[in-house]
Amino acid sequence: MNSAYIASILNSTLRSTTPILLAALGSAVCSRVGVFNIALEAQMLIASFASIAVNYFTGSILLSVSAGILSGALVGLIVAVLQVKYKAADMVVGTSLNLLIQGGTTFLLYLIFGLRGSLVDNRLVSLAKINLPVIRDIPFLGRVLENLTIVDYLSYIIALLLFIWLFKTVSGFRILSVGINKAAAESLGTKAVRIQMGMVVLSGALCGLGGTVLSMGQVIMFTENMTSGRGFIAMAAASLGMSHPLMTILSSLFFGLCQGIGLALQNIIKSQLTMTLPYIATIVALVLFSRQLKPSAKLKKQGKA
Amino acid sequence: MKQSHNAGAREFGLRLWRALRQPLIAVLFGLLVGALVILACGQNPAAVYLEMFDKSFFKPYYLFSTLTRATPIIICSMATSMAWRAGYINIGVEGQMVTGTLVATVVALYVPGPPVLIGLLAWIAGMAAGALYALLPAVLTWKFQVSMVITTLMLNYVANNIASYFVTYPLKDTSGDGLSFHTPEIHEVMRLPRLSSSSTFNAGFLLAVAVMLLMVFITRKTVFGYESKMGGFNPSFARYGGTKQVKVMMITMALSGAIASLAGSAEVFGLKYRYSDGMLSSTSYAWTGLMAALIADLDPIGMFFVSIFLSGLQIGGSAIQRSLGIPLEIATIIQCCITLFVSVKLVFKIRKKKASKEEVKEGGVKA
Amino acid sequence: MKHITKVYGSLYANDDVHLTLDKGEILAVVGENGAGKSTLMKILYGLEQPTSGEIYLNGQLQHFRSPHDAVNQKIGMVQQHFMLLNPCTVAENIVYGREPRKGIFFDREGAVRVTEALCEKYGLYIDPRRRVGDCPVGLQQRVEILKVLYQDADIIIFDEPSAVLTPQEVNELLRTMRKLADMGKSIIIITHKLHEVMAVADRVMVMRLGKYIQEMPKSETSIQEMSYLMVGRHIVERKVPPREPTGRVLDVQDLVLAGSDAKNILDHFSIHVDGGEIVGIAGVSGNGQSELIQCLTGLLQPTSGKILLKGQDVAGKTVGEIRTAGCACIPEDRYLWGCAAKASLTETAIMAHQNRPEISKRGLLNGKGAKDFTRALLDGYDVRNSGQAQRAGELSGGNIQKLIVAREVEQHSPLLIAAEPTRGVDIGAMEFIHNKLLEKRERGDAVLLISSELTEIMSLSDRIYVIYEGKATGEFRKADATEEGLGILMMGGKSHEAVS
Repeated sequence: MNSAYIASILNSTLRSTTPILLAALGSAVCSRVGVFNIALEAQMLIASFASIAVNYFTGSILLSVSAGILSGALVGLIVAVLQVKYKAADMVVGTSLNLLIQGGTTFLLYLIFGLRGSLVDNRLVSLAKINLPVIRDIPFLGRVLENLTIVDYLSYIIALLLFIWLFKTVSGFRILSVGINKAAAESLGTKAVRIQMGMVVLSGALCGLGGTVLSMGQVIMFTENMTSGRGFIAMAAASLGMSHPLMTILSSLFFGLCQGIGLALQNIIKSQLTMTLPYIATIVALVLFSRQLKPSAKLKKQGKA
Repeated sequence: MKQSHNAGAREFGLRLWRALRQPLIAVLFGLLVGALVILACGQNPAAVYLEMFDKSFFKPYYLFSTLTRATPIIICSMATSMAWRAGYINIGVEGQMVTGTLVATVVALYVPGPPVLIGLLAWIAGMAAGALYALLPAVLTWKFQVSMVITTLMLNYVANNIASYFVTYPLKDTSGDGLSFHTPEIHEVMRLPRLSSSSTFNAGFLLAVAVMLLMVFITRKTVFGYESKMGGFNPSFARYGGTKQVKVMMITMALSGAIASLAGSAEVFGLKYRYSDGMLSSTSYAWTGLMAALIADLDPIGMFFVSIFLSGLQIGGSAIQRSLGIPLEIATIIQCCITLFVSVKLVFKIRKKKASKEEVKEGGVKA
Repeated sequence: MKHITKVYGSLYANDDVHLTLDKGEILAVVGENGAGKSTLMKILYGLEQPTSGEIYLNGQLQHFRSPHDAVNQKIGMVQQHFMLLNPCTVAENIVYGREPRKGIFFDREGAVRVTEALCEKYGLYIDPRRRVGDCPVGLQQRVEILKVLYQDADIIIFDEPSAVLTPQEVNELLRTMRKLADMGKSIIIITHKLHEVMAVADRVMVMRLGKYIQEMPKSETSIQEMSYLMVGRHIVERKVPPREPTGRVLDVQDLVLAGSDAKNILDHFSIHVDGGEIVGIAGVSGNGQSELIQCLTGLLQPTSGKILLKGQDVAGKTVGEIRTAGCACIPEDRYLWGCAAKASLTETAIMAHQNRPEISKRGLLNGKGAKDFTRALLDGYDVRNSGQAQRAGELSGGNIQKLIVAREVEQHSPLLIAAEPTRGVDIGAMEFIHNKLLEKRERGDAVLLISSELTEIMSLSDRIYVIYEGKATGEFRKADATEEGLGILMMGGKSHEAVS
């Protein structure tokens, strides 16, 4: 295994991480305010579709990305209204929306483009690729960071900003308080429901950006159900990162690495088998880290009882 | 005596009303959203719905297709409810079905012996495989408190990919054109009998009815059914009452996985006679079954009819795709909207509020 | 507050109630559970809107749509259930809602300084950097009071403030109230503990069944008069005849439950209970009572020690095995452990009875048997219901508690653990449940009563243990127990201090 090979794996790790990280941040902000959002998959998928559709008709990157973010936020809004406002069961809302968007995007793909399966077209434009001037010429690092999009860099900045917002500012303190003790927050005039709904919509926007990267980053196409469980992997990443934005970067990188390795192994092992790698890795990671978290989790349960 | 009879009848009426009111209203709302989508497609909703139901329920040929498609959906909904009613969110019915069915097919194809016996063995092996595949997340939840939502869903992708690998390479039928990925056909003796000469409607449907009756029996008549239901309502309560929760969880999940395998086996042994790549996932039987379970609020009889209804939507959906050019996913859209409306329980909110306040009143006056 | 009326459905929670409060005054609002005191205070604090009636503050008509409006008008409330952010520090909790800032950033050092200044001003000391979750209950309440003071409240409402405190902590609290009143704050205290009223209040207002009954200066009333007005009749004090205990039923020896740190949650805890006696365990909640119950019933595995039930060691056995060995339990939290809101009354009633021969045989349920059994419980224990298909969550608190008591008493087990058996139920249900416990004792069974209501423990128990930080710190015969003596031990005092 030479260094170029490793560099290319790391490169595809970074690319695979971005959608997961963005969705995981979305999951994290929801669980920080006590909302269990499992419609991440739907929030991503609709954005993948919307961004490609707008891309197809306008050819504008800015409009495509906005469409992705907005459509994700829209699905987030539905989750917020149903789950937070009307207190509908999270599992029911989540699974229904995931399937609705899966069916709905397929429906629209056929209705608008007359296509089944996927949409590829050479009119579609990709997100701007960045090759930083100096780093480009460093042998190993240059290859690792080759052709990353602006959103790949942006996702880490977003994580950092979220951390500062939640843990260092007054409004962040109020937001976190809603997740810690909703009744207490409300008793001092914090509009807890509004904050919860806002965070769910934010998670929709983050997932929307993630879905956009998925369809306009590495590849420029839309495929039916192209998120293929990434929303759930992101949930796992957020829970391993204990819903802390900076820790979530690490756990997301781990899942990105699994996908990167899976892609690299496709030349050696049949693709059907390598494709299982990220999913198995998710389960294994959850099991391994549960050991460490277990005592404190158990104690919490006892405290409640 | 008469009074108690009246009370019994009232109780039954109350239960029936409780079971039916929510789904019926939700279905109306779901169809309403569907009508809006159809309008947006530039078609007349009434005409489209008429065509849809004509080509799913009213014409015998289509009715048989609907019931045939309903078979795995019914069984999947039972498998889902088995776990959900006990509080275990198993969204991995698809993976358990795929695993069980693949094993059943392999046994039917490759284990030597008299076909009748091997056929039977195949079903049993499939159930065992489905059960084991469902026990895996159960054990992980028990030992490591890992979220079952995530593990069961991840295991779907694992099962689908591995099954796809087997059908594409080691188990592939080499006698055919080489372009389609499926196993050879199973022995004729093992096939389930057809129930209609003009269609593919087969004895698998009777199996679905049997599974439903089994579910009714388990939920209403057994201590296990009672204990698992209480565990689903409030695990602390069940634990405090002395039920063996780990045992209940393991039995529940094993049954759920075993039932799931029946759905796929019925499809192979009753309809397709072979396992082909994606036959159980692209049709989203498991997810439709999940929707049915949610709409009927996990009531076995309700799920049976809702499954047939959803299956009819899909059969009708493919008919209108052919004739009117509206994508068949309209069925998915309608069915998801139905579950969303079920989840909100909007219409009955007001009524309930009133009731609970009267409750408060009673308590207050006594004090 | 004038003509305050609050209607829920057709229930008048408050029916034309008046209330006035002067500056620097302490007003006690007394009444039974369900008398409408809390509703009245929720209206004053903006948590609920009155159906009709008006609130005037310094002559100005007010409309409080949320607590925020009330807080802006300098009204603060110390809730019965603390509204605290447990993982956060004391300072963070106190400044919540009006945080010191540096730009958009939360100035946490500033919060500490503000808190220190506040402590100094009112003489209520506490470490601002301590995590609130680590503070004992008395200090948590102090945080609540400081929170209200930080909001600059002139009117402070205390909702059942002494429910979770030891007698000594209560005295400390009453002193604090007096001090605040002397500094010009106006105070309303909601309570049903009349000796506290006598100790601290300037004026008393009595409510019953949502109605304003009477109001008088403290100096012109007595505990007897107030209790008569509260209940509407004279309360007969219970006389429990002494009874010779029969053989040993429960013998807990050196029970240890390790905690997450070096400190044990249960620390070499030893007690015994004989047949025919009620043994009370007194203590401030959070000293290991919950864990003790869970160890005794098998919900938690003790680290070491013996639990002898009728001579058989059941430590570490499963809940089912311990139940079979002869232990029933009225759980401390009826909604967490005692029932499932969505379960029918039948399903609620047969829990832990489901394997009796009249209810099931070889795993198959006998529907009629279950119904008959449930009917007997519902009728025998006066549970008001609208048929067995009714959901447990739809019953009132008192009725669901009676059903749970029925279910556990009808286990006919040698040992009954009764944890907080009357928490939050009305006086009728309370008397009923107490009688059932005494009947159980009359039958020669053992009852272990764990309660944070000292009066309940003292009136029912033959013997009393005190639990403090997981240790059994004292044992009293009924005749020797005094509220003060128990209180000293509950605070961690030594037993000779308690006796002298």
